[in-house]
Amino acid sequence: MNLRFLALIAAASAAVTLAMQPARADVMVGYVYVGAKTDGGYNEAQDAGRLYVQKSVPGVKTNYLENVPESAQVTQAMERMIGAGDKIIFATSYGYLPYALDLAKKYPKVTFMHCGGAKLAPNLGTYFADMYEAMYLSGIAAGKAAANGKIGFVAAHPIPQILQDVNAIALGAQSVNPKATVTVVYTGAWNDPSKDVAAVNTLVDQGISVVGMHVDSPIPVIEAAKKRGVKVIGYHFDDMHFYPQGWLTGGYWNWGPIMASVVKEVEAGTWKSQAIYGNLKTGAAKLAPFGPSVDAATRKLILDKEAAIKDGKLDVWAGPIYGQDGKELVPAGSKLPRDKVDAMNFFVKGVVGTLK
Amino acid sequence: MNGGLLLGLLSIALLTATPVLLAMLGETLTERAGVVNLGVEGQMLVGAAAGFAATHITGSPWAGLAVGAAAGVALSSVHALLCLGLGVNQIASGLAILFLGNGLSSFYGTSLVGQQIEGFHSLRHGWLADLPVVGGFLSQLTPTVYLGLALVVVCGLFLYRTQWGLVWRSAGESADALRMLGKHPMRLRVTAVLTGGAFTGLAGAALSVDYTRTWVEQMTAGRGLLAVGLVIVARWNPWLALPVALIYGLSEALSLRLQSMGSDLSPYLLGTLPYLVPLIVLLLSYRASQRGTSMPQELAGVFRGMS
Repeated sequence: MNLRFLALIAAASAAVTLAMQPARADVMVGYVYVGAKTDGGYNEAQDAGRLYVQKSVPGVKTNYLENVPESAQVTQAMERMIGAGDKIIFATSYGYLPYALDLAKKYPKVTFMHCGGAKLAPNLGTYFADMYEAMYLSGIAAGKAAANGKIGFVAAHPIPQILQDVNAIALGAQSVNPKATVTVVYTGAWNDPSKDVAAVNTLVDQGISVVGMHVDSPIPVIEAAKKRGVKVIGYHFDDMHFYPQGWLTGGYWNWGPIMASVVKEVEAGTWKSQAIYGNLKTGAAKLAPFGPSVDAATRKLILDKEAAIKDGKLDVWAGPIYGQDGKELVPAGSKLPRDKVDAMNFFVKGVVGTLK
Repeated sequence: MNGGLLLGLLSIALLTATPVLLAMLGETLTERAGVVNLGVEGQMLVGAAAGFAATHITGSPWAGLAVGAAAGVALSSVHALLCLGLGVNQIASGLAILFLGNGLSSFYGTSLVGQQIEGFHSLRHGWLADLPVVGGFLSQLTPTVYLGLALVVVCGLFLYRTQWGLVWRSAGESADALRMLGKHPMRLRVTAVLTGGAFTGLAGAALSVDYTRTWVEQMTAGRGLLAVGLVIVARWNPWLALPVALIYGLSEALSLRLQSMGSDLSPYLLGTLPYLVPLIVLLLSYRASQRGTSMPQELAGVFRGMS
């Protein structure tokens, strides 16, 4: 058994080494994922970006490592990639930031790109997108689908990115049904399928008829919604095929164009470190296809509002917005400033859940 | 809280607890014969991956459960070989199994992430499902829940009501006495480790094939190790395994329910409930018991370094 296990490790490392042999390519680009690239969620969206780069930028060769924890292991993974000749590294997980910053100092000739990070370095840039716009539109679909106005949300952690999504869904739903509520349940983990399922069951028992989520892989939530016969709005990726009858719409990331332009700029020597923020208009965040249960009138309403958001006529954070306790947070005629959006620390009226 | 919500809480508790219950039963059987296996988590993961793969290939969740159990047996045989065959320290061997199972399931399981399977069809409960209040509760339960409940009865009857069960328990209490009766404690212990492997592999498959219908790396998230701990709370008694697993399930269901009812307590604090409550039960039950422990004597030997 021991021998077989050793042989297995040897075969695995040989496979990795082969996959990372420098080829005759102008630029080699490495990707590090915190989960599996087929998770139907966060990591699959990142890998779809990699495939886009591979296809659309001539002479580029990409490679990747999956299931790399947010620990010193990611430093090892990135150093191996640099050793194999990677000139650009996409550190795709939030917790990779400190390790990427350290390595950026050590390897000034390598370009690092971090997803969702707040910090920059001369050779480290960041990219993210305002998914809350797509969540606002999904909220409209949810508000129309939920006859009783009760929407549930399975969340990993109470952090600004997730609070934005919850609030956007609530505001979207309330735009078509003023009595709509969003009930939030935290699992305390990005990836704990068992907790995800229990959370959905809890929400359904409380009478919700549509469930949304922000965890790494939407699949357990979608499967649980299917078992209980409630509707679902997706996140990270287009997963309609798991449950077409119950799928309304959702938001998904489209990182390809941003990644491709970064690679091209590095190739041309024009790349400069910056924080790239995409949205619906730039196409980095997208509205997922509608499920068959969404009627034509609702589709039209949502697509019209999508156009309004893209034109800048509709802002998700335009007042009046009221807090959970009913106090006015944003007066009519003004918008929540960008820094307040990025550091969101409140729930809007109609959200049931805690911020701690 | 009305009856419907209470039953909802109970159904979530039962569904959540089933994989843990199955793992507890397996480890109870193993420890009753005098062997500790800390590799339960690894065996569950291997069972979850293999069971999911089998269901994906064959389309049958029953095949998934069977293959999951077989995978658990295969991995636990390494434990049997190491600690019973070669005399390696049981704690060290169990931990090795844990990491081996973790690594193997991740390595072979990567291609399974994001795959879709058809789980069990909802059980046709007939007129039972139309009953007011209880009907909704019953329609939540899936085959693995019934399987788990049935196995509690099977294990309980086996250990306490059959001659084989008596011999099995003797292997855990006094191997020497057993030897004098002309039995083979070693052979029995190997069987016990493999049986435990089958139960824990099944537990993993129940998690991936039935409960979540998904496979991701490390999806057991510590529930295997928790099961080993809960065996102590249940005092190595399969009949007590059910209430103890339910205490865990109810704490988890309650922590989520309180959140969904708008409780202002931190979700992280509530998240500790499933671990805190069994710990309190353990402390209280040990205080209440004058005899202190019901740990099988040979098992105590493992911790005294006599093994």
